[in-house]
Amino acid sequence: MSGNEIKSFSPAPFRSILSAGSATQAAPLPRIERRDFLKMMGWGTVGVTLAGCDLPSTVTLEEGKETVVSYLSPEEYAIPGVGVWYASACLQCPAGCGIHGRVREGLALKLEGNPDSPVNRGKLCQMGQSGVQTHYNPDRLGKPQLRKHGKLVDISWDEAWKVLAEKVGAASGARVAWFTGTVSGHQAVLIGEHLEALGSKHHFVHEVINNAVGRAVNQDVLGEAMPRLDIDKAKLVLSFGADFLGTWVSPTHFATEYAKFRSGTRGVLVVAEPKMSLTGANADLWLAVRPGTEGMLALGIAHALMKKGVSVPEAARAAVTAYAPEKAAEITGISVQRIEQVAALLKQHSPSLVLAGATVEGQEQGYQAASAVMLLNVMLGNVGKTLVSRGEFPFPQLSPRTGNTRDLVAFAAAAKDKALDVAFFYGANPVYTAPDSLGLVAALQNIPFKVVLTQFPDETAAQADLVLPVASSLEDWGTHVADYQPEQGVITFQQPLMEGLYPGTPGLGDALLKLLKMRAAQKYSAFNDYFSYLQNAVASLPEQYRAGGLTNKQLWEQTLQKGLLTVDSAPGSLNTNVGEITLNEIKADAEYPLRLIPSPRLGLWDGRHANIPWLQEAPDQISKIVWDSWAELHPSTAARLGVQEGDVVEIASAHGAIKVKVYVFKGVHPDAIAVPLGQGHEEYGRYAKGLGVNPLKILSPAVDARTGELALYGTRVNATRTGVHEELVKEGRNNISQRGRKLVATITAEQFRRTEGV
Amino acid sequence: MSLDNLTKDWSRYRKGIEEGGFHNYEHRWGMAIDLNACIGCNACSTACYAENNLAVVGKERFSKGHYMHWMRIERYWDEDQAREEFPDQGAHFLPMLCQQCGAAPCEPVCPVAATYHTPDGLNAQVYNRCIGSRYCSNNCPYRVRYFNFWSYPESAWPEPLNLQLNPDITVRDKGVMEKCTFCVQRIRTAKDKAKMENRKVKDGEFTTACAQACPTSAIHFGDLMDAESAVTQLWAKHQVKRHDEQGLPVSTQHKQNPALRGYRVLEELNTDPSVMYLERVREELA
Repeated sequence: MSGNEIKSFSPAPFRSILSAGSATQAAPLPRIERRDFLKMMGWGTVGVTLAGCDLPSTVTLEEGKETVVSYLSPEEYAIPGVGVWYASACLQCPAGCGIHGRVREGLALKLEGNPDSPVNRGKLCQMGQSGVQTHYNPDRLGKPQLRKHGKLVDISWDEAWKVLAEKVGAASGARVAWFTGTVSGHQAVLIGEHLEALGSKHHFVHEVINNAVGRAVNQDVLGEAMPRLDIDKAKLVLSFGADFLGTWVSPTHFATEYAKFRSGTRGVLVVAEPKMSLTGANADLWLAVRPGTEGMLALGIAHALMKKGVSVPEAARAAVTAYAPEKAAEITGISVQRIEQVAALLKQHSPSLVLAGATVEGQEQGYQAASAVMLLNVMLGNVGKTLVSRGEFPFPQLSPRTGNTRDLVAFAAAAKDKALDVAFFYGANPVYTAPDSLGLVAALQNIPFKVVLTQFPDETAAQADLVLPVASSLEDWGTHVADYQPEQGVITFQQPLMEGLYPGTPGLGDALLKLLKMRAAQKYSAFNDYFSYLQNAVASLPEQYRAGGLTNKQLWEQTLQKGLLTVDSAPGSLNTNVGEITLNEIKADAEYPLRLIPSPRLGLWDGRHANIPWLQEAPDQISKIVWDSWAELHPSTAARLGVQEGDVVEIASAHGAIKVKVYVFKGVHPDAIAVPLGQGHEEYGRYAKGLGVNPLKILSPAVDARTGELALYGTRVNATRTGVHEELVKEGRNNISQRGRKLVATITAEQFRRTEGV
Repeated sequence: MSLDNLTKDWSRYRKGIEEGGFHNYEHRWGMAIDLNACIGCNACSTACYAENNLAVVGKERFSKGHYMHWMRIERYWDEDQAREEFPDQGAHFLPMLCQQCGAAPCEPVCPVAATYHTPDGLNAQVYNRCIGSRYCSNNCPYRVRYFNFWSYPESAWPEPLNLQLNPDITVRDKGVMEKCTFCVQRIRTAKDKAKMENRKVKDGEFTTACAQACPTSAIHFGDLMDAESAVTQLWAKHQVKRHDEQGLPVSTQHKQNPALRGYRVLEELNTDPSVMYLERVREELA
């Protein structure tokens, strides 16, 4: 923000306290080959010149020496009563936004977006705003816990590290695994190094809200897994369930792009999905498509375009020909007239951008359906215009290991096969997110030693043998690279905004270094802590990234002050390799006539934010319900079942059942029943535990044939009334009509363009 | 403002609608909220919680309407939805906060002058003067005043959550009415800083927590007395006029070009809000 001057500083007044345990002279670096050294530091590259990059001889900046600064003679900028702003990184989702944190009297108080970050451009969503409530959460763990006689009991940190060294030391290295959420930057480098030191290949990376199928399609068709999406340059965006304003890929970034897209000539937004998302709620045209048939709708639109003279790639011709609008209409429930209309709009507004999201991809033929959506981009000539090559990130070692559900399935299988002796968990809560049908909880019993690095007593921690509390994101060091890189590539730097609330609690990087020293003491002996490791990493940056002959100290301070390091990559050009598309007809199921939509919410996300009181009390954007779960049913479906709002229904799949209150809503297809993600925690602290239901539990274990990703949106269910009724708590009660008052006035886009168009 | 001062200057600040409201503004903080940009994401609302020490009341009390959303997103559906099978033009989102009315219905009804008009154009609430009559809330057409039916400090901020509380402002206790202040602590800081540097407050020097967080920059904040400010320019561009600009008699039909998008919510009540909205836009795709 313009008013907040970001101070130039030696890291922070509390920096001295953070490193108090390591305020000694660092040992000199052992002799390491340059190539190995760069790999160890995360700058291992493919095809980037490292000419002129000198191995720093005194890599430990200032010889790793720290001066303890007394608060009696504070830094000149630390004035009691005046807030100071520090740049850091937001870790509330994997989008990689930069933040500025306001610190006063040693306490982090308020987070804002970092205006220098090309990702979020000074903006911050509600989950980011809530970072302080994750940090100060009353249910954070302060002490390590060890399972003794079947129960988790508090132990000392000394004991914890000792037990860890013994157990991991005794295990066969190849049978040790890491199970994490999306990780990137130097933390990912160290996890990789740890596994390498162990001789293990088991890094399972899991996110429920992911883009794995989309990445596979992008890779196959375009040649790049995550190209740049120029929403602002598109004249029309057609989204098949890609909730880019809420939960898809990089929502805050896309929201800033959306603002540009909607100004001036104002682009048109068309959204087709079985349950209205936040993006759908902002559409000019929202199409309730029958769940699981989005791919056929895309082919129907392609067919209509073909009839208008748009050429179809040879490989996809058979599929497009097979889905005449009449047939597509019958399958998808979208009328022929609407299909023709969307085709006409696409032709009229060029370039456009067509996106596929989770509801398309999370099907047994998700890859094929997402390919059908991508076909539209190819046919409309959007590739190279609104879908642009991003080029390879110059430091692939720092690139994110992106989460998916295939690894969850693989992990459950590995556990079931007794293939693992030790498992480390970080940034993921598989006991909560895994469908019961995967049998994960039972399989976990086959892993003799489970170490959970977490801030909270979550469901996975409850199954652990050793629970290691870790620092919150506002107490830790790190570097982060998002999967989606905007125009300017960026590594976001995370620095602590304050001293740790729980003494002894290590950051992830520090914990990893401890683990590495247990295996490869010599190689890592030079680094007292993760802070000095990161300083070394910055000091050994390739020469091309240190403009103006900065000293190591200046470069480090400048990087922390900005909170990011911009990097360049050489964009190439995208391919248009459309393959054959095979979409099989979907058979009706008399026993389970409905499809379950486990819909993600911007707020509780995949359930990780259910312990944040602000987000529990923030109404769902669409239904305005708070502190609860609900099932969205179309009025026609509700009438058929004989239920009204607040009536409890039992939703049963072949794999389990949940009971949940009904919310009758027209923004859902009559064949779908949508239950939002996030609630139904059996653990996870006072704010989360015992509220609502977790729809993930009753999902089927079916996967997408091509990618092995769970078909999260493919589970068939039935719903029956239970006779129980409970009121849903909503903001604004049942106030859904303006009753003729001019509260939200609407004008036509045509009029807007006349008066404000450029 | 001392009570003495207040009673002396009562008539100065209590200009009724027939006199066009209060005129001699030092600043008049105002907003423009673009409903073409607003996506209803809630970022503003949570940012407000973080900035202004808003209490979380929990499900039970929420159900009784005791919540504290100084900034809330109202969501409406098409009026003719009853006839349609699906809401095929999406939702209508309306960020609703105190409109800081120039002729505020909440002010004259306070029996103890706890709610009054500042020379900055704010409808201020003096917490330690408030006796909780709730007349102001009853009289507010926008329903943006929130009453502390309970004492929240302990239930809303169990340790160490309390460490996050913004020390620049208070935590309100039972029996007190509270409301959006346009982040008066940020206004204060900026004004003090400007005064120390012997200059005027610059446009864009600071903004409210909601405007700062908004991912689509739908919320614009600034001084309507500053002719150069972005927000004044927006009001001018959309031809929305404050009462003190219009002179008497005031009118809600002051736009030269009715096609422009500016309007104020429930303007016909002559409350002279300091928040202008820009109309939502949709394609005609029947």
